[in-house]
Amino acid sequence: MSKKNNDEIKLSIPNKPEYVSVVRLTVTSIANRMGFDIEKIEDIKVAVAEACTNAITHGKNEEDNFLVDFIMEEDKLVVNVSDNGRGCTTLNEIKNPDLDHLNHEKEGGLGIFIIRSLMDNVQIISNHGSGTIISMTKYMGEDH
Amino acid sequence: MSLIIEKYYYEEKKQWSVSLIGEVDIYTAGQLKETFIKLIEEKKEDIKINAEELDYIDSTGLGVLIGALKRLKQENKDIILFNVKPSIKKLLNITGLDKIFIIEG
Repeated sequence: MSKKNNDEIKLSIPNKPEYVSVVRLTVTSIANRMGFDIEKIEDIKVAVAEACTNAITHGKNEEDNFLVDFIMEEDKLVVNVSDNGRGCTTLNEIKNPDLDHLNHEKEGGLGIFIIRSLMDNVQIISNHGSGTIISMTKYMGEDH
Repeated sequence: MSLIIEKYYYEEKKQWSVSLIGEVDIYTAGQLKETFIKLIEEKKEDIKINAEELDYIDSTGLGVLIGALKRLKQENKDIILFNVKPSIKKLLNITGLDKIFIIEG
């Protein structure tokens, strides 16, 4: 009884805003093919796009690429978005958006908050100098 | 994919009407920001956004809306969104932004 290995798709995307829509279309297609319902597909699309936006914002160098890795398992989709930016040690300390202070117009942190809200499991690995990996999982079934 | 912005000022209502068509993301958010800055410079009045054909907005787009609202609030003006698609409504809901913008319909 040999169990099939997980299928995997890897993308290398230029650090340029115009390519986020390419990732959005790709992940929508992957999630759709796996059989996720429309609402979950939308959640995944929004979360993955936020991670890409984050990679581009922190990646700094337009000549570089960031990586998006889609791992398709039987009951879940794992998406890893890795940049080679400066990294940031405070990412895990990002709090929920503070709406009483509209002065904090800079929406940094809002993207991470959205990712955490929409995905079932989110891990952010970030170190100074070695970039950031946002790893997020969405399960097919209910109650996760 | 891109963003089309249609704007019109209603003199009698003292209100900007803005239709957003397409997608607001890190690529198109700058275009939206410039439009809002021009509108608000011209007339600091309520901005009513028709989101019927807005397919997608991300955190950079929401940041632009927050920035515009911040400027409008100095004159006690608002941003009103209507015909918002369910997926965008969900985003406004989880971020709590449905409490700072006026959502109609």
